Amino acid sequence: MMMRKSANTILLLVAVAFCYGLQVSKPRYGDLIGPIPARGKLGDTVVGRGFEVHAEKIEFARKLTVDQYGQSKVLTTGGVWAVVTVEFAARAQSTVVSVASWRGPTGLTYDQTERLSFMNGLLPVALDPGLPRKARLIFELRPDEVSNATLLVSEKLVAALDSQAEISLGPVTVAADGLPAGTVDMLDMAQPL
Amino acid sequence: MLESARSRLKAWIVAGVGTAAAIAVAGVLGAFAARHEPLPALAPAGRIETGQWLLRPLKAYATAEKYTYGALLRPGGKALVLELEMTNRTAKSTKDYFDLLQASQKTVDPATKPFIVLTRDSTMSPELHPGMPERMAYIWQLPDGAAVPASFNLTVISKTYKPRDNLYGLPGWFNPTPIGTMTIPVGAGPDGADMQP
Repeated sequence: MMMRKSANTILLLVAVAFCYGLQVSKPRYGDLIGPIPARGKLGDTVVGRGFEVHAEKIEFARKLTVDQYGQSKVLTTGGVWAVVTVEFAARAQSTVVSVASWRGPTGLTYDQTERLSFMNGLLPVALDPGLPRKARLIFELRPDEVSNATLLVSEKLVAALDSQAEISLGPVTVAADGLPAGTVDMLDMAQPL
Repeated sequence: MLESARSRLKAWIVAGVGTAAAIAVAGVLGAFAARHEPLPALAPAGRIETGQWLLRPLKAYATAEKYTYGALLRPGGKALVLELEMTNRTAKSTKDYFDLLQASQKTVDPATKPFIVLTRDSTMSPELHPGMPERMAYIWQLPDGAAVPASFNLTVISKTYKPRDNLYGLPGWFNPTPIGTMTIPVGAGPDGADMQP
């Protein structure tokens, strides 16, 4: 009788430890239904489920000039502007790519700026098969989040169980003023892509 | 008859003692203390940390201009403007600042939602990016015919981070709770100097 009781207690403790181990070690629901990465480098064509993306170049600038309702406007920033020129293509059917963010080396995630929402050639872009389109992805960044960053592009904000392009952008050298090397003072967004 | 009345009395006493014990335990654990504790007063010229934001109030003033940082006021109305420096302390760009500051009911009609504007280029409620301080303006329309107060009260509201919420198991900021109040003097116009810590 006593024997049986202690055996039951030990079994219970083992079960508790086992369940705790499962809880700690198994992936969470959020990880399970997260986006499915399609990885690539700057210059590669990254192929996702519904779209392809090819990041051509990155430019850095202190200020941007934009055309707003026929007037030229200068946009300043507390950090640095990063403008990524990309080419999108739809695969089997028409789609819309609407989300891009910049994940810095420390994991800080910078969404596309909302200060140019009136401008053409920004996300969201509608894509049709066989008709590739260029677009600009514009970010406002801290200068220390520029090097070794990853560009994340997906069709929807919650890219659950759908592909997300992860483009590693490689190292960027920093100039003496703390900004990335090759930062221009002014970049004109009215220029055609 | 007498027997059943006695047992009923017994049941009532047991239930009463149990309830009293439960209330006493809850009181000892502090369930009632939180309701009566007054909110701490925050120094308006200091830095205020909430879960997601680092705030530094700069100045407050009343204005009767038609447009204040691009926000259109009701004709003939006045607006209370609070300019402050906001820094996103989280790891992601966010615009979760709509419930951050609550002007007191004495000054502003509680149904009036403020315009929240980036002063740099008058963008309405843009996302703010991690670790990049920006100067923002909260613009409350004052009730018609109300006099401009010499100072006003603000309640600062903070949220708590949960690595997994109960519904989706995803991280997020939840449970808005007031963390303090502050009294900010209202200056004459937009040209006043910023408050220094």
